[in-house]
Amino acid sequence: MPQRYDAVIIGGGHNGLISAAYLARAGLKTLVLERRYVLGGAAVTEEIVPGFRFSVASYVVSLLRPEIIRDLDLPKYGLDILPLDGTFTPLRPGEGPKGGGGDYLWRVNDHGRTVRELRRWSKGDAEAYEEYGQLMVEMARFIKPILGIVPPDLTDNDPRPLLPVAALAKRFAQLPERQQAVFVQLMTMSAKDFLDQWFETDPLKATMSASGIIGTYQGINSPGTAYVLLHHYMGEIDGAFRAWGIPKGGTGGVSYSIARAAQALGAEIRTEAPVARIIVRNGRATGVALESGEEIEASVVLASTDAKVTFLDLLEPNTLPAEFLEEVRRFKFRGSSGKVNLAVDRLPDFTCLPGEGEHLRGAISFSPSTREMEQAYDDAKYGHWSNKPYIDMIIPTLVDPGMAPPGKHVISCFVQYAPYRLAPELGTWDDNGNREAFGDAVINRIAEFAPNIKDIIIGRQVLTPLDIERTMGLTEGNIFQGELSLEQLFFNRPVPGYARFRTPVQNLWLSGSSTHPGGGLMGANGRLAALEVLKSRGRKVA
Amino acid sequence: MADTMNTYDAIVVGAGHNGLTAAAYMARAGLRVLVLESRAIVGGAAVTEALGGVRVPSLAHTVGRLRPSVVRELDLASHGLSLVAPEVRVFAPQADGRAVTLYADLAESVDALRTFGEDDATAFVEYDRRVRSLSRFLADLGDEAPPDIKGPGFGDALLGLRLGRAFRGLGKRDARTILRVLAMAVADFVAESFTSEPIRATTAWRGVRYTATGPWSAGSTAVLLADVAGNDGGAAGETVYAKGGPGAVSDALASAACAAGAEIRVDAKVIAVTTRDGVVTGVALASGEEIAAPAVVSGLDPKQLLTKLVDPVTVGPSMRWRAGNIRTPGTVAKVNLVLDGVPDFPAAGGDAKKIRGRIQVGTTSIDDVERAFDSSKYGLLPASPVLEATIPSLVDPSLVAGAPDGTQVMSVLMQWMPPKLSAEEWASRRDEVGDLAIRTLETVAPGIGGRVKARQVLTPADLEGEYGLTGGHPLHAEPGLDSFFLWRPLLGWARYRMPVEGLYLAGSGAHPGGGVTATPGRNAAREVIADRRKKRR
Repeated sequence: MPQRYDAVIIGGGHNGLISAAYLARAGLKTLVLERRYVLGGAAVTEEIVPGFRFSVASYVVSLLRPEIIRDLDLPKYGLDILPLDGTFTPLRPGEGPKGGGGDYLWRVNDHGRTVRELRRWSKGDAEAYEEYGQLMVEMARFIKPILGIVPPDLTDNDPRPLLPVAALAKRFAQLPERQQAVFVQLMTMSAKDFLDQWFETDPLKATMSASGIIGTYQGINSPGTAYVLLHHYMGEIDGAFRAWGIPKGGTGGVSYSIARAAQALGAEIRTEAPVARIIVRNGRATGVALESGEEIEASVVLASTDAKVTFLDLLEPNTLPAEFLEEVRRFKFRGSSGKVNLAVDRLPDFTCLPGEGEHLRGAISFSPSTREMEQAYDDAKYGHWSNKPYIDMIIPTLVDPGMAPPGKHVISCFVQYAPYRLAPELGTWDDNGNREAFGDAVINRIAEFAPNIKDIIIGRQVLTPLDIERTMGLTEGNIFQGELSLEQLFFNRPVPGYARFRTPVQNLWLSGSSTHPGGGLMGANGRLAALEVLKSRGRKVA
Repeated sequence: MADTMNTYDAIVVGAGHNGLTAAAYMARAGLRVLVLESRAIVGGAAVTEALGGVRVPSLAHTVGRLRPSVVRELDLASHGLSLVAPEVRVFAPQADGRAVTLYADLAESVDALRTFGEDDATAFVEYDRRVRSLSRFLADLGDEAPPDIKGPGFGDALLGLRLGRAFRGLGKRDARTILRVLAMAVADFVAESFTSEPIRATTAWRGVRYTATGPWSAGSTAVLLADVAGNDGGAAGETVYAKGGPGAVSDALASAACAAGAEIRVDAKVIAVTTRDGVVTGVALASGEEIAAPAVVSGLDPKQLLTKLVDPVTVGPSMRWRAGNIRTPGTVAKVNLVLDGVPDFPAAGGDAKKIRGRIQVGTTSIDDVERAFDSSKYGLLPASPVLEATIPSLVDPSLVAGAPDGTQVMSVLMQWMPPKLSAEEWASRRDEVGDLAIRTLETVAPGIGGRVKARQVLTPADLEGEYGLTGGHPLHAEPGLDSFFLWRPLLGWARYRMPVEGLYLAGSGAHPGGGVTATPGRNAAREVIADRRKKRR
């Protein structure tokens, strides 16, 4: 007799765990199945070098939905987010107004201080920064509800799902015209073009636009990258709970707090339980079969795996309509980011601001110019990792010393670009020492600004998109389970007509980042999917 | 009262084809119209001018997007317009000696594509159907003034219903497709149909022509579909010549406008739109003359109009900031050649018919096209540009009438030029630009350089300086996703009315955008006439 559950969830990433918690909270007998030995998916902490613990992939929290934190009472289960203060952009000798040994651009949470710093570069920019900041907060306030909307199918005849969108349209109509115009620009422009309207300081534009390209196979000049500029401000308006920072214990700490909350609500979680396939009988999902051969029955199957893994790997091909399969194959992944994790015995020393200090406690952005940002993309377009990549560096041990032995540090380097598919002459990431050559390119890039980096490394882990695919199960190493390009958002995500977490297979639901509103350690997908499941079962959704 | 004191009901600034179209429609509706053109001839970017004893299409070279309804309504045929469409639409020679050749006839195109694989040849049929179906919706959109989002009225509701019906008319599958593909990179769009790089690049070209984006940029599919909208070109695209060159379109429009009572003055440069208390009163000319009219209709681009011609206080700081940020990156150079004979394209295999359409050079792979775009981002000329060339004299010998036998005219549009160079720098690099065009042509037509008897090179600086296109942008404003329908040129001002009472926009900067379509001109005239009726009531 196979075991029977109300709901079985494939994947113990943050979205899977959040779905589980919400379903269990509504009284469903819920089981989470995780392939790996450790929970968290891409939000995972692992000891890669003995004594050094890393947020292997995802490394900061910015958008974890406050309602989830509240509903699941996550702080009680160990969620603790340590503030990250500011973004430090180092420059090379001779660059910037200061000249000499080099300058830097340093923006901090203290708005006044940032404006004073900007005044050094450009008085106009300092003024514009205030106005820009206020405008972005307004924009973020307007757009935020979209994270909670289940996208409608515009070709459908049922008008009800359109209501939340109509409400949004009504609010749009009430905005002042300039804000309306800026909103349209945010949804359609490139990050660089958008910022050009306010600022002239190049390192400022390079650093700000960097947030627009994270996880995408786009450059800062590519239309559609401006939208992500809003993300930073969304965190800001979440208010009471500080939503931007490093989770204590790494991003795995977030995942485990959710897991503990789910367990407390009655969910069961099994690790090292890889699902081989979803069992479908007469067009309905009835459970899953594990690689071990074990079968588990369930009334509802929620896959937090990405669209390709779910529909092409876990289902028999004849289960799905041909047209739907065609659309799934069309869904673009194209991982473009890599990660280099370093164990070091000393802190990096920046030529432009030597020694230890507050500047190392925030994000360190290797984005000295818009030109280099764009060139980094040009390399990737033709199948090469960036020769001079953009790096977002964090030193978590400065705020969470427990991650490394005393006096030593871990450094997390998020790197763009590293295309999943390399140019034919390079072979794959496994060939020709490509992986280590990419790692070297990253270290060399850091050394341009902090030459001591080469002397302080005790251990290094280089993750290419291929490694991210293998380890985390993310197709083509796309950290968002599918590219966040304009045509793959909202009612098109992941497949036009199937953006409402439902799939063509009855009782099979999708709840990962492949769904609206996309990726990031946000959790909205897992929550919305669970609520849709409950609604479909006639449960009251509180 | 004021009305009767004016000699004119409306002044059109700029006698480009859209300005002339607006003038013709307004004059036919009984308005007293004056058109003012700064150059010595009418036509703007649709002109035919003298070069080395022959006549060349200075900027635009084909006119197949001209709305058939405008041709009909203004009876342009009786005003001398005669269109010629060769059987071949596109000829794109490849490095290996083959060529992607597309014809007006679908079956012929499919046949010609077989050399690149049976699958892609077959896929062309469905691709053609798809772009036609999707662009039909855009054509419907283009015929209308975008709805009023500030105070929607009954008409806007009707329009919504009409567009809704057009959307539903697409069918569920194409309706979903259009929502998905409009924002897509054209490289991805063509890759959904074809595997062959030459076919992908050749068909994708129209998604990036005249723009500051490469095929990997989001939104380029919308540009491609807009180019298909409103003409019969389908996947092959249009290649239609006006007898006498594109200037013949402008001349026919001017003739139609004059026949309806409009007055046209050339060599009359408008330096300001005059206003009183925020309301248009007329225009001021460079000569010092002032002419009064209650409505001024601009064929000029919106950035120039709002930042240079209207008093900044009247425009207001917020609107001025917005108008000043309209993107006009000019990436096109135009090289016009007089040749002493028909150039030899080995890939045409001696078939002179194949080179009567648009000859695309450099559309060999998506990456090649993208690379031609890349260097422009860093202020450099491309090593291998993309060219779209035509030899209009092959189908219209009138252009070379009186010249030695065998003389041909070749018109070459070259991308991507770096958009931010100064006029001085462009002036010093004119020959470099011309040489680059010839060198690139030599790769597919060896010996062509030796046939050049005269050459004219127009850089983005010339497009701005001589033809009055801000930034040298042939489409008046970059046709990106940020300048589309409800927000072309600016959100809240897409209905041809500009933020000063009595001021209208009739040029390519308005919906549905650039190209020799006459649509913005016609749509704008409709709104001017409607406002006038309202006032009279």
